[in-house]
Amino acid sequence: MTPTLLAPTPADPASQASRSAGERALGHFLEAGFERTEPPILHPAAIFLDMSGEEVRRRLFLTASASGEELCLRPEYTIPVCRAYLASDKAGGIAEYSYLGPVFRAQAGHSGERTQTGLESFGRRDAEAADAEIFALALEAATAAGGVPLAARLGDAGLFDRLLDALTVPEAWRRRLRRGVARGRGLEAIFNRPSQGALAQPGVLAALESADHAGAKALVEDLLAIAGIDAVGGRSAGEIADRFLEQASLRSGEPIEAEKRAVLEAFLAISGDPDEAAVELRRLADSARLDLGSALDAFERRNGFIAARGGAIDETRFSAAFVRDFDYYTGFVFEALDPGCPGAKTALSGGRYDGLAKRLGATDDIPAVGAAITLDRLANGGER
Amino acid sequence: MASAFGDGAEGPFVLAVPSKGRLQESAAVFFARAGLELVQGRGARDYRGSLAGVPSVEVAFVSSAEIVSQLAAGAAHFGVAGEDLVREKVPDVEARLELLSPLGFGHANVVVAAPRAWIDVRSMADLDDVASAYRAKRGERMRVATKYVNLTRRFFAEHGVADYRIVESLGATEGAPASGAAELIVDITTTGATLAANALKALDDGVILRSQATLVASLAAPWGENARAAARDILARIAASEEARRSREVRARLPSPAHLIVETACERFGAVSATGEDAGPHGFVALHCARGKVAELAGWLLAKGAERVSVVALEQAFDARNALYEALEKRISPGQR
Repeated sequence: MTPTLLAPTPADPASQASRSAGERALGHFLEAGFERTEPPILHPAAIFLDMSGEEVRRRLFLTASASGEELCLRPEYTIPVCRAYLASDKAGGIAEYSYLGPVFRAQAGHSGERTQTGLESFGRRDAEAADAEIFALALEAATAAGGVPLAARLGDAGLFDRLLDALTVPEAWRRRLRRGVARGRGLEAIFNRPSQGALAQPGVLAALESADHAGAKALVEDLLAIAGIDAVGGRSAGEIADRFLEQASLRSGEPIEAEKRAVLEAFLAISGDPDEAAVELRRLADSARLDLGSALDAFERRNGFIAARGGAIDETRFSAAFVRDFDYYTGFVFEALDPGCPGAKTALSGGRYDGLAKRLGATDDIPAVGAAITLDRLANGGER
Repeated sequence: MASAFGDGAEGPFVLAVPSKGRLQESAAVFFARAGLELVQGRGARDYRGSLAGVPSVEVAFVSSAEIVSQLAAGAAHFGVAGEDLVREKVPDVEARLELLSPLGFGHANVVVAAPRAWIDVRSMADLDDVASAYRAKRGERMRVATKYVNLTRRFFAEHGVADYRIVESLGATEGAPASGAAELIVDITTTGATLAANALKALDDGVILRSQATLVASLAAPWGENARAAARDILARIAASEEARRSREVRARLPSPAHLIVETACERFGAVSATGEDAGPHGFVALHCARGKVAELAGWLLAKGAERVSVVALEQAFDARNALYEALEKRISPGQR
């Protein structure tokens, strides 16, 4: 007998502190009616790689099923909870869940196992009220768990998208803008892509100056035939033609007019108190004669709901430039950290992700909003 | 500091070299040129050998992938491996390994290649554009087939390309676009002929790595006195044979003051005096000079009054300064002595 082999590993005090802090936070969610769920730990790695890109691969603990399918330990809860919801008989209807347990992300100098707690709400049609409730509950729970009110930052991907619509920004630039802004790059850096010179193929673009899709496609097909190239791989001649057309249209002059760019610049600079930001946004929309319509109404409504909940928020600031580089985040986004701890990492993050369910196989978008708290990033690793 | 095994229990110095194929042949030639003959154990299936003339060195004949993992784990002190594999397989290369010297064989480039039919795609910036449009249109990411998962991820991140997925491919990667398994590939290429045969083209700025066989030292291996002595010896010999290959010895008898002529020759032609600063009493000097500059130097010496200049090929040229070893010694922590 070798009983020592069977003895449990001595509890890591830090993770124990996280656990008990987690229990306090979870209690808060249960009280609010969020049923506890514990989705599987193993998932197909492809799901996370598809949603977040290859960049997350180095963070994933990868393994394989007996049949060779690439699996990973869940790096977070939102996608696993959403999958469980979609597989349940509640799919499409209203369901609200909470969770507490380990997530796994490879990281140098750390075991890679962290405790997270959080909540997810599916199917509610009163989006702004749900946004405010999730935001407030998460912050209250984090305060209960860590003992210190957090400072929060809000953003609204819906507003940003609405602005790009109103400015009729070409599709190619919308993608670049959204991604660039999500990565914290300024407009200068986004518009002055060093590759613009190299991109241009003047001969082809000049030939396409006044061509339509069919004409451009015929030209591309001719070019391929002359060069004796078989169409191989992924993109059709039509798609290649469309990209040439897009480049030809962007070639003349600036990517967007100076006037619109100034509006964009002013929009992205708006930050501070959410109510004051709303006033500034209205002023900007009026002066530029832009209709931000329902997106701005929703923003104000949400601010109202958040203010009505009051609660354990040390400081809440809105930042128009705060968007995420995930296309399934469709609206409200937020994050929070311990303001008393210099260099603190985001301990709480969440947002509205109406687009996720469809990406996971649902036939339509399903309203969804949630938040996650990483317990060891709260004050004292979550110890009171 | 005593090693964990106690003093005097130091294991052999392990040199890991490829066990088969062209890399093995080239490595054997390279070491032989340095007077270091790889002696394989008797029998074709014996994977341990020795280095003729350098006792206490054990040669491990293993696969390229195994060499890299042994170096990373500290199971081998030196190894010969393609830089592509080293950079792909070892996280945090700079902290764990010292790339001592490129060996001049096994050249190949790791490149990003797209279908030739994508006539609108020439650069990584084009690819970024196309990849994000592809995702926006199809809701799926473009797939990149490769065995270089880490190199690809790093390179794409440097170029800001995010909308792609890697499909691991362990053979015939170049066929992936034609078979529909991926849209792009990242693969190794020497001439580009395989790419062309598969209707693919490398992107203009898509060279991820210009790789060649490299002599690599493990910083994690146990560096006791014996291992250090073996490393110093091996590197001195390699440096001596490389220096000999690069240089020629130029001999002449110079008129007085010969030492001034030598001084100027060293400055003007980057030569080194093999006989020290002072010429002998009869003005005999021997200079080591880069091959390409030998004729020029000879002409100049004749003009300075030498009657005859002879140029001699060198077998080995040892230098008091062992630069390769010095670079390594700086990286091995003294605590490991």
